[in-house]
Formats: sequence, C-alpha cells, structure tokens
Amino acid sequence: MKNEQSHETTKKFGMVINLDLCTGCGSCMVACMAENNVPFKPDETDKLKSITWMRVYRLTNGKSFPETDICYLPRPCQHCEGHGGHSPCVSVCPATATDYDSQTGIVSQIYTRCFGCRYCMAACPYHARYFNWFDPVWPDGMEKYLNPNVSPRMRGVVEKCSFCYHRYQAAKDRAYVEGQREIEEGDYQTACTQACPAGAITFGDLNNPEHAVYKLKQDANAFRLLERLGTNPKVYYISSKEWVRRAADNYLPNEKTGK
Amino acid sequence: MSEHEHMEVSAAHSPRNNLKDGSGGMVFLFFLIGLAASLIVGWVIFPKLLYSQKRQPVDFNHVLHNGLVSDGCTSCHFFRDDGTFSGAPTLAQCVDCHSDVQGESDEEKRFVEEYVKKEIEVPWLSYARQPNCVFFSHAAHVKIAQMDCVTCHGATGESEHLRPYEYNRITGYSRDIWGHNIAGIKHNTWDRMKMDDCAECHQQKQSMLGSVQTQKEGCFVCHK
Amino acid sequence: MKIDRRCFLSLAIGAGAGIALSPLPWKLTDDLAIWTQNWQWTPVPKRGAAKTVNSVCTLCPGGCGISVRKIDDRAVKIEGMETHPVNRGGICTLGLCGLQLLYGPTRVKGPLKRVADRGKGQWMPITWDQAIREVTEKLSAIRKSGRPQSVATMSGASSATLDALLDRFGQAYGTPNTIRFPSVDDAYHLSVSLMSGGKARVAFDFEHAGYVLSFGAGLLDGWGSPVRMFKANALWKQSGVKLVQVEPRLSRTAAKADTWISIVPGSETALALAMAHVIISESLYQAEFVESCSEGMEGFKEFVAAKYTPDIAAKMTGVDAATITMLAREFAKSKRPIAVCGRGQGTIPGSMDMFMATQVLNALVGNLNQPGGVWFVTDQTMQEWPEVEPDAAAKAGLAYPRLDGAKGMVPLKRSLPNQFVQAVASGKDYPIEALLVIESNPLYTLNDTALVKQAFSKIPFIVSFSSFMDDTAAYADMILPNPVYLERMEDVIGASGFPYPTIGLSQPVVKPQCNTRHVGDVLIQLAKGLGDTMARAFAWKDFSACLEASLGDRFKTLKKSVFQVDKSYQPPAPNEIFASERFSFIPRGIQADVAFKPIAAEGDTGGYPLMLMAYDTMRLSNGYIGNPPFLTKILEDTVLKNQDCLIEINPKSAKAAGLDEGDRAEIQTPKGKALVRIHLDDGIMPGIVAIPRGLGHEAYDVYLAGKGINVNSLVGSLSDPISGFEAAWGIRAKLSKA
Repeated sequence: MKNEQSHETTKKFGMVINLDLCTGCGSCMVACMAENNVPFKPDETDKLKSITWMRVYRLTNGKSFPETDICYLPRPCQHCEGHGGHSPCVSVCPATATDYDSQTGIVSQIYTRCFGCRYCMAACPYHARYFNWFDPVWPDGMEKYLNPNVSPRMRGVVEKCSFCYHRYQAAKDRAYVEGQREIEEGDYQTACTQACPAGAITFGDLNNPEHAVYKLKQDANAFRLLERLGTNPKVYYISSKEWVRRAADNYLPNEKTGK
Repeated sequence: MSEHEHMEVSAAHSPRNNLKDGSGGMVFLFFLIGLAASLIVGWVIFPKLLYSQKRQPVDFNHVLHNGLVSDGCTSCHFFRDDGTFSGAPTLAQCVDCHSDVQGESDEEKRFVEEYVKKEIEVPWLSYARQPNCVFFSHAAHVKIAQMDCVTCHGATGESEHLRPYEYNRITGYSRDIWGHNIAGIKHNTWDRMKMDDCAECHQQKQSMLGSVQTQKEGCFVCHK
Repeated sequence: MKIDRRCFLSLAIGAGAGIALSPLPWKLTDDLAIWTQNWQWTPVPKRGAAKTVNSVCTLCPGGCGISVRKIDDRAVKIEGMETHPVNRGGICTLGLCGLQLLYGPTRVKGPLKRVADRGKGQWMPITWDQAIREVTEKLSAIRKSGRPQSVATMSGASSATLDALLDRFGQAYGTPNTIRFPSVDDAYHLSVSLMSGGKARVAFDFEHAGYVLSFGAGLLDGWGSPVRMFKANALWKQSGVKLVQVEPRLSRTAAKADTWISIVPGSETALALAMAHVIISESLYQAEFVESCSEGMEGFKEFVAAKYTPDIAAKMTGVDAATITMLAREFAKSKRPIAVCGRGQGTIPGSMDMFMATQVLNALVGNLNQPGGVWFVTDQTMQEWPEVEPDAAAKAGLAYPRLDGAKGMVPLKRSLPNQFVQAVASGKDYPIEALLVIESNPLYTLNDTALVKQAFSKIPFIVSFSSFMDDTAAYADMILPNPVYLERMEDVIGASGFPYPTIGLSQPVVKPQCNTRHVGDVLIQLAKGLGDTMARAFAWKDFSACLEASLGDRFKTLKKSVFQVDKSYQPPAPNEIFASERFSFIPRGIQADVAFKPIAAEGDTGGYPLMLMAYDTMRLSNGYIGNPPFLTKILEDTVLKNQDCLIEINPKSAKAAGLDEGDRAEIQTPKGKALVRIHLDDGIMPGIVAIPRGLGHEAYDVYLAGKGINVNSLVGSLSDPISGFEAAWGIRAKLSKA
C-alpha cells in the first residue's frame, strides 16, 4: 500500500484572475455563497460583519472626473504558502484549527476545532477570514438548498474560502470509483471559477505544466497581492493597467513598481 | 480490574487511621462505600443515563437477504456513478422485490403496508453515521485501500435482526462512534470510530503526511 | 466506633476517587465539548443521491440554459448549462440566486383573499376552487352587463404561449386591453419597421464584431443575456476589439471599455448624428450598401450638415468636436463595427430618436445583416391555433379603443403600460373594473409610481397571479399564485440580442413547493367557467396541452433537449431584405426634425440644478423579480448602508451643494422627494446624480422591504412622440442637506 501512494506528486492548487476580463458583476461571490452554505442576514451593509469568502473589491485610480478609472478585484483566500507552509494564519492558530496541507497547498479551516480567538483574522493581511458573530439562520424552508458536502458553521467560529475542497474530494471519489487514481484539470474547479461569466478566473495545479494556471502565472502582467510581505500567496492576478499592479502592494510614492 | 487494585491500595493505608482513635474502621468503610457507589454510578448507571435507545423502524434480516443477492454487501450498499456511497438502501431499491409481500414474516408485511404502499422512505437509523463535520470517503477506503466492509462495520452482514439504535443524549451521535465499551477500550477494528481510530492508519502513510501543524495528514482530508 | 465528620469526608474522598476511576468525567468532557458546537438550530443538510436537471432560466429575457443540481428531491445549486449556446456554462448573479426565490419567504403559499383595507397586508387563505369561482363570477358579471372592455391584463410573462393565451383571453372575452411590458427589443423592432419596413427581432453578432460603439447600453451591466455579453467582452479583450462606451457615468461597462466618452445624458442622438455627418462628409460610408440598398441619404445629409456638425454637437453633448470626429473616423474605418444603444439593461424601451440614429450609423458602415453586424432575426413561430369566434358581447367590447392608445402599429403586440396607467388615473374614455396582473409588478417598475397607485386605487378588483408578495400583489384584492420558473413548464422563444433563432422549454426542476397553479391553467379554468364561446376558445385540458398545441412536434423533443438553436442561421442578404423596401435614412412619413428629436428631461433647470438618472447594476434585480437575499448581500456599502440609499454624485457638485460623503440629504424632483445619503464618486459627470434601480420596495421580505428608495417614484413618465414608449431616462432634481 505504501508503494502505491509514493508515486503521487505533490499538488499546489492556485488561481489566476484576469482583472482585464473581470466586470465586477459578483457572480463569483454568489456562486461561492450558494456552494458553501454561507448564511445571510436581513442587513448585510456592515461589511465588517458580512461573510463573503469571495469578495470583489472596487479599486480606483484616485483621479478626478473624467480621468478616473476603476478596476474590480475578486479576493478569495490567498492560500498563502509563506515559507514552508507557515502562512500568517496557520502560524498563529493556537487550536490547530487551520492548517497548511503541503499535499495540495490548501489552507484548511476546521470549524469544529476553532474556538473563535480570531488570531488568524488579525494575522491575515487580506481580510480573507470571517468570524461568525451570529447564529446562521435560514428562513423557514430555505435550508432545503443547503449543500450536504459543506457543513454549515456555528456562531463563534472563523471561516474562509477553502478552494471548494469538497469538490476536490468529490472529484477524487469519482476517479476512484472509475478506477483511476488521478483527476484531470477539469474535474476539480472551484464554484467561482465555474460560475464566472467572463471567464476571468482560472484554477488549477500551479505545479503542473499541463494546467492553464502554470502558464498564466508567468504572464508579464501577473502579480500577487502584498507580495513583498513574503506571504507567498497562490492567487495570481493579471492586469494590463500599471496603476492596478501598483495598487496591489504598498509602494511608496516614489518607489518603482517591478519584481 | 482497576476497582480491585484500588481496594488494595486503600486497605494498605487504613491501619494508621485505626491506631489513632477507634473510628478508623468506620472511616475506611465509608471510603469504601463512597468508592463503590461512585464506581457503580460511573461504570453502570452513567452509561445507562448517557445513552438512549431507538428501535429501527423495520427489522431487517441481513443473513436472509445476503443469501438472495449475488454481490454481497455491494448489492444494496453500492457506489453511485459520481463516486458517492449510497449507504442504507432507499425504498426504490426495496421495491424491486417487495412491491408485494414475499414471505410470511409479519415484519415484512408491515414494511410493505406502511412504507411501500404509502411510498414513504424508511427512516433507517444509521449506526455508523459520522458527525456532520466529518467527510468520510468510502471510495478511498474500499476502492483504493482495498479495505473490507467488516473492518469498520463488523459482522453486520451476519445479523438476523437489527439491534436497537443507541445514541448519546448529549451529542446525539450513534453509540458506535465511541464504541460500546464505555471506557473506550476496543478489541476489534470495528469497535470504535473516533478520530484516534482513523488516525491509527492515517498517520502511517508517510507519503500523505502534508500537515504543517501536526506533521500528519492534512485536517481537510477527513474534516469539512 | 462512631460516625463522625471524618467518615463523611472519607465518603466524599471515596466517591471522588471512584468517579475519577470511572469513565464518567472523561467521557462527559468529550461529549460536552462536542455538544458546545452542535447547536440544534444549526441545520445539517441531508445527504442523498445527486442528479442534474437542465432547464431554461426565465428570470430575465436573456434565455440562458441552467443546470440545477439536486440532492434527492431538493434543488441545491443552479449552475450554467455547459452546452447552451447563449451562456455556454456561465451564469449571472441573479440566476445563481434562483433557489432563494424558490424556497424563499417571499413566496405566496396559496390563494389569498384580502380581508382588510387594500395594501394593509391582511389576507385570508382560500381554496383554489373558491378563488377561481370568485374571479369567474366577477368576470362573468362584468361581461353580462356589457362592459367586457373594462377588464384589463398586465403581463410581463416570458412565455410566448402564455402571451398568446392572454391575447386570446382578451379576444374571446371582449377586451382590447391586454397590456404587456415593452423593452428595448420592442424599440429596436419598431426602428426596423420604420426604417426598413419589416418585422424582425434585432440582434447583434457581437462575437464577430470588430469594433463596438455603445450609446449608454449597459452591455456589461445586464444587457441582453448578461452572461453572453461578459463572454463577448472577454473575446473582445483577447482579440483587441475596441469597446467605446458613451455614458455620463463610469458604469461597469464604461470601466471595462477601452474608451469612455462621458456625455450629457439625453444628447447621445446628437453625438450619433454628428458622427454620421463626419462619416458622410468625409465619404467614409459604405458606398455600395448606401447606393444599392438605401434611400433618403441626400435629405439626411443636408439635415445633419445643417444641424449636427461636430461643433454644434459638442455644445449639446459636452464631448469636444475633435473627439467626435476622431470617433466617427475610427468607427467607419474599423472592420465590422457595431453601434448599439438602449439605456442600462434595456428594460425600459426608451426614445426612438436614439434607436434610429444608431441604426443610421450601422447602415452607413453597411453592417446590417452582415457577419459581425446587426442582424434582423426571424424567430421560430408558434403553430396557429383555431380562430377565436367572438360572440356579440366580445365584439362590442373589442370595438372600444385600447386605453393605452396603441394602435395596430408593428410590432403588432405593442402596448404602452405607461399610457394605460395615465388613462386609468385620469378616468379617460371608460373605467377599468378588473385588472389581472401576471408576472409583473407595475406598482414598482413603472415610472411615477404615485400615479400608478392612483390609477390602481380606481380599479375595484385587482387579481395578482404573482408567485411573490411583491408591491403589486400586496395591493391586490386576490392573489392566485403562479409556480416559480423552477416548478413550471414554459416556452421561451428567442433570446434578447442573440443573433440565432432559439427556442427553449423551461422544465419543472422540483415539485411545486407551495399550493400554486400555473396562470395558464387558471386562465383555461376561468374560460371554462365563463362558458360558451370562452370555453370553446379554451378547449385545452391544461396549459401543458396548450404548449403542445403551440409547439407541435417540437414539444416532445424540447422536453428532452431543453433548447433548440439554429446555428446555421444566416441573416438575409441586403438585397433580399432591402429589395422591396430600401433602408430609409429618414424614417418614412416622419420629418427628420421629429424623428431625431431628443427627449428632454422633465423639470426646469432653474429650480432643479441637477439631473437625476437611474442606473442598472448586476447586483440589483429591478423588474418583477425582487432582489434575492444574496444579491442584496453583495451590494456595495456605497450603494446601500443600513436602510439608506446612497446616491452617486461628483465631489464637485456635492461641494457646491455643501454636501460631503455619507451626509444625509433630501433629493427632490418634480415628482417627489426622498431621503438619501451622499456618496462622492469621481466616476460621474458633475451636475448629475445617479440612483440604482431595484431598491425601495414596500413589499417582499425583511431582506428587501424598506431598503433604499425606488427611483421610479422620483421619475415622471414621458411618452416618445413616435412610439409612445416610455422615454424618460431621468428627471431634473435638487439636493438639500437633511
């Protein structure tokens, strides 16, 4: 049995989001909420208490009319690798509720393990983590649409994007039953990737030269958010606009952009 | 076992008390009474209070059915095309044979009348159902690791009646998760299904140990 | 030997030792730890067998295919259908929220009858038998007393068969007042009739276009099939096709465009005509098409030369003359350029001048019915039903004019809800005694909602067939709930803006969740109850039989395939379509002055220094379908904050009014006033304030009711002089600190 496992190569799942194509419609956000049983409240206008694993930010170039420009930036959990899997949130979790899996490169969040100290939220530079301030309540009858592959969370725990890990498991199960050991690129795609009507999101194994993300991350206009912090995130962005690439990191006014 | 040991330990200390004032024997007796009573509470009464029982909606004879089907367990507990495991059969499967009463069993007659005719799904109580926070892949264990049903489920296939479904009043989980031994002691692989029991195998697979926090397998492998 | 306290102490120690030596504390700790995270009220979704059911989404006219994932009998997720030619696997925000509509608290669970004053929200559940009996009695009484014309229907139904069934109901019953809600498609349709003489759905072969010039069309804000447009945009970006957006506001479309031309709203026609002038005067037009297939070029040339030179247009539009000239050259010199118009999502048809000016540009570059151009599409038709034989009562009723004043102009089913409402409110001609409202929410979606309410208050009997407790249903006398789109079967012919003829059949994905009946079934039952000619005209068993009658052989195949598309469809060649009637640069029988006259916003500039315009966003459903909770959740906090609507205003204009970010203010227009908050945005032209459509509902649930303001209540209704369509795109306004 051990020998059978050993030929498995290590995967590193990641995303490349083309901001030139993203129109900021919000389909990725809704697809994520529908897939992952994210709850909603009567008032969601306090964005600090509004749970959106995937969140589309609106960036502006700060210029006045009519030179003003805007760009939409979808932000899932960046699944930081840090150095050797020591991503900011994993390093601070006292409960082992969040973990970095070097087999997939996915940062996990185990809700039943989490006791809600929120160290990870303080550590995450991307605001990708959300705390359940309230009990999740679905109006009577609406719990029928809940996805059995994802457990609904309880009040008092932190949650975040999982790269739809349950879809990876489902894909593996399907492959196993079909007598295969490995899954294809198309077998495992996140809900946001699948839904994006603009085709702006590409998802796959960053280590696999046959996957689309492998090439896309090497695009001349590819960048990552707050790259200089050393978080080593697995979500890449592409934008042809210089001001957008600059906005992605905290550059000093006179500092030059570049790698 | 442990009860016996402690009695000896207590006895060893008692003479000293006896020497000081004559009440030593009484003190010792009371100690024993307290000890015995609480041991009874802890070992006998507590499990009775902790667990409650439900009867399965219909009794089922695994032996009888096993003799009639060709593929053993997988005849009724099979993998769906999408890789998921079907678990307890649905009415649609039962109806294949039981559209009408087949044998002479009263239980079957009741099943046909109360469920088949009324097209109501039988609310089977699943002994082995893991909590909702657990993702368990039958495909990985059966298809890849080539494990037998018996390894986790024991000799369920050799039962002629369904045993009562026992569940924990506090957690709501089936008793089979913790195991029937209240101390959590297990003799067979199928006696318990807590996380530690899964980990016994999971931490041996060297190539799969990806967790940065625990140096074991990643938490997401089993948790959702 | 005596029993003293030491004995009891010993007893306690013994008990403690015994407990510690038993599994009790350790097991209890474990169980309690589990208990603390397993609250009973946290639902545990049931597992089961998964399967996928395909259908067609009818939440908007886009006509996308959907794949609904089911676990046993529950629908758990809606995804885009991979093989559907319109959306090719993608799905929009609203489409993703469909299950919140299906299982949501806004559903009307069964037939309801009003028990207190109108709009007070007090209802009595009744049986379907009683509901149908009462409506039948009412309609029967009106018809018997010789006033069938005083019954009206207002429908926003997406089903072509249901549309035809409603018309048939009017024919057999004897009322000309069958009103449906026109959209940008109808305005395009009319422009074809007026300029080319013909009937066709206008569509755009965006996927093969080489240059796209949009006059305010929210191509990436929900226009047509939003998913198809997003995919087209991705294609443009990857192949270097330029998108130019002409709009006063930096909408999502403008933000993604290669060039954003900010323009004074309402002056888009002037820009288009000035571009036409440049193209003609510099001979950049497609001579072959213009010479062989068009007429009226000379007259048009003189008209634009006199009134719409770039210099003149620059003053009207705020776009400088050099830019206009550059834009005209760029457009005319591009390969396969398309000009498109229609404000925002195009749910309001708009004024004809814009549509005709746009078609002029398309004709000048000869891109009508060309690959990568504007196509005139003839969709598949329904099979004819046996003719209705109206009885004397029906004939008498049908002899009355329609209250909305629409006559038999092409498109044939043209109707003008805005004018209908005005007529009812003013009591002109004859009163309306009963109104059937189908798949629409006129009390919310029509401009000047105060007038709509006034009109509705004069109608003694309003029946709503809505699936949801929407604003109109809440004001009705009876609600006969229709199943929602995931529970019913309906045909959808054509997809808005899509250049190939399509036909779809939406499928029941789940069993009906509420005690509902399809409005088509109810109509058939009503007709049977009314008897005689009515019953004969509605001889079908149910709506499904009716669908089969209109779709014929296609019914069975569509049940399996969900959609049919004619991908081999080619638009008619110019010499075919323009053989009998040429493309006319100035619509026949209309003076150029009249045809191309822009509609000015209501209100005087002195009292109202600002211009209020409504805008559409993908994150707000603004029609009959109320915004589902997920969509409201993803609204930016610069649009909605708590219950307050934020209005977009340029910092300069805000400063002039003494207002700053987040300030509470009162916005006032000639039609009304409302309290709002200020959001400063550099992406909007100074002098303009913008409010999104889709907020300010009075009905629905806690997730939507009472949030923000309904911009339609601030904007008056303006009828286009040519079409009669609703043409108001905004209104003058003023802001004051509150």
